[in-house]
Amino acid sequence: MDTLINDLKNRLIEILNLSDITPEEIDENAQLVGGDLGIDSIDVLEMVVMVEKDYGVVINNKDIGEKVFSTLAALADYIQKNSPKLAS
Amino acid sequence: MSTRKKIHIAGIGLISPLGSGLEETKLSLKKNISAITPLNSSVFQARQSPPLPVGQTGTATTSPLPRTHTLAIKAAQLAMKGITATPDAVIIGTTTGGILHTEELLTGEVTDPLQYRHHALNSVAEEVAEMLHCSGPALTVSTACSSGTVAISMALKMLQSGQAEYVLAGGVDSLCRLTYYGFHSLQLVDPTGSRPMDVERQGMSVAEGASLLLLTCDKTPPSLAQVLGCGLSCDAHHPASPHPDGKGAMEAMQKAMTNGAIQATDIDYINLHGTGTPDNDIAESKAIMALFPVPPELSSIKGATGHSLAASGAIEAAIAALCIREGFVPGNTGCLKVDPECGLSPTLLPQQYPVRTVLSNSFGFGGNNACLVIAANDYPAPSPVQSHPPPLTILGKACISGAGHTESSMGRFSQLEAIAGVLNAKILAKDLPVRSVRRLGRFSKIAVAIADAALRDSGQQNSPDSVFMGTGWGALSETCNFLDKLRESDEKFSSPLDFVGSVHNSAAGQIAIIHKATGANITSSGGDYSFEQALLAANNFLDDSSSGAFLLAADEAHSKFSPLFDPSITAETPLADGGGGFYITRKAIPGRISIQLSFLRRYQETTLTEMIKAVTAKGPTEKECAMILAGIPAADTSDGEKQLDIFMRQAGLDIPVIHYRKFTGEFASASSIAAIMAVHLLEESVVASDRKILVLGFGKYLTAMEFMYQ
Repeated sequence: MDTLINDLKNRLIEILNLSDITPEEIDENAQLVGGDLGIDSIDVLEMVVMVEKDYGVVINNKDIGEKVFSTLAALADYIQKNSPKLAS
Repeated sequence: MSTRKKIHIAGIGLISPLGSGLEETKLSLKKNISAITPLNSSVFQARQSPPLPVGQTGTATTSPLPRTHTLAIKAAQLAMKGITATPDAVIIGTTTGGILHTEELLTGEVTDPLQYRHHALNSVAEEVAEMLHCSGPALTVSTACSSGTVAISMALKMLQSGQAEYVLAGGVDSLCRLTYYGFHSLQLVDPTGSRPMDVERQGMSVAEGASLLLLTCDKTPPSLAQVLGCGLSCDAHHPASPHPDGKGAMEAMQKAMTNGAIQATDIDYINLHGTGTPDNDIAESKAIMALFPVPPELSSIKGATGHSLAASGAIEAAIAALCIREGFVPGNTGCLKVDPECGLSPTLLPQQYPVRTVLSNSFGFGGNNACLVIAANDYPAPSPVQSHPPPLTILGKACISGAGHTESSMGRFSQLEAIAGVLNAKILAKDLPVRSVRRLGRFSKIAVAIADAALRDSGQQNSPDSVFMGTGWGALSETCNFLDKLRESDEKFSSPLDFVGSVHNSAAGQIAIIHKATGANITSSGGDYSFEQALLAANNFLDDSSSGAFLLAADEAHSKFSPLFDPSITAETPLADGGGGFYITRKAIPGRISIQLSFLRRYQETTLTEMIKAVTAKGPTEKECAMILAGIPAADTSDGEKQLDIFMRQAGLDIPVIHYRKFTGEFASASSIAAIMAVHLLEESVVASDRKILVLGFGKYLTAMEFMYQ
């Protein structure tokens, strides 16, 4: 799980171009959207694409999306439970 | 009392998924049928199935022209049917240009630049102007989904102020992979087809179409209706989502009504922007509820046509005229149960209803809002506009070139050294807050850096409220990245961030967000003359009620796209980019430098004589004018040199001429840096303070800008 969280932090920095922070500075339990990182709805959609592309997990439901993207830990948890790639 | 000038709609060329021409459109609207169907492979074959629902026209593409151009040409022919006059200007709103064709060329790995000659947005207006033998300006506005409405607004201003007698204006966009997958990646596409205002709506349906209106102040030709007023605003809120309370939408509607001298209670019908996305329909409803205590009849036709982006506003302006002529209101096709959260009662089914006035709404990415009031011919026209407005005064300036920011660039230029090149990305963004520009590509960063620096240079406390921006090529990096990722994933994945960043008005939208600039926000895309087109827009939309504007132009160099798209750049040309801009205000300030556009027309033999007349109109130019900065794009070297030579001889001028592209390098918005050079030369007293500097453009266009102390 820790590896997945760390992996997600690195991907987030890369796809959202958060070039001024390091993975260690991201708190996986902090509010993800609208929090300190300045992540908004378009960033979430970019993450949706990344999650599907890299982990094979489709998130196309708004209610599920809100829960999944509440924190990075919640996202990692959802991916862990639903990713065919990680299961295999 | 001065005569009131009515702006008539003398011709309409309308092509939408509902049909071609007013009659077919009328029949479809009266039947309340939706033309939204799954994408048909005649436009392009989607690699992923099932195909998404779209609004597709029955128009066949006439090669070698791309589909957008074909649609525009056909619409222009329809609009000009039975008209003998030649338009003095053509104004096209578009977001796609030749991208559909470009997508196919890139997939085929075609490397011949000639094949990409129709990629540029402005090539659409050029094709139309060429076909109609229009020697005036062929202007291109690209403000996302409000483009067509902004084009008509610009025509209205030009006609009201006497700059033209006939203008062909409107919008056009074809379906293409960029928008088809781009809106899908933003989860803004309703898989069952758009159903605006419906409680279960899930989004829009991307569509295509073209609508061009022949507008005139000439009373001779029969008129369908008149354009009474226009209003532009910017949300300055978010790159892709509307302001949640519809603040910008409300402002644009109010401005359009004020401009048309009409009260909310006198509006008979509102044609909603109504895309069917949850956010748009709520925000627009809130704006209407705030402005109209008792809203009039209202509906969105996008459940029938889909959302044809830049064309949509012009299509709906044409339909507004049709509603007035026929006395009917179209239904809100696709809406079965109205969303109670919207709080409005749209007209669900088409009905006969006397309509004399229509408010037509268009809102787009970048928070770009534009509204029109269309009225019956006998409706009283508003008071005439001021015919001699105060000059555009420069309060601050800034540029970015290969040599660096303003000081480094002008320092090198003063030593007569070249400033061409591609500035290091870190130096480019050195003054920009890392977090707030993290999503911006090079094009937007250049623009934002110029605006920030122009504000600092002005010493003003407050930012201006309007933005007039030019760009030849827009966000090349984001466009390239979007298409690359799409292709590499066999069209399965695309980047929402790249899509939002790829629109031509993304940079101007960012400037608005950063500076809370909620006034008019127009991006012009006129190839090598984009800065001059932005100046024309500023001249028409900046009034003395505004605090001022950022007037700028920018382009980014792209190693793959620049040599493919820009005919002045070959594989051997050293890449260069950057731009320049000003903080301007519509106010005479003695002791300050003003910027004036004295000429902007497509090149024809006769145009050169007219340009000389325009520039020398105020007397012997040699005594007045100290220097010429001349811009001749490399692709037009031979013609441009000849034109410059004739110009100098016929104007009888013997003053220094600086070929500014030798300093700036080759890129579309180089003339914006030349404008900074002109101001720098005046400020540094290189020329006498009572003389002016001309920045002239040659080649496919002839342009003249004048800089002088007031």
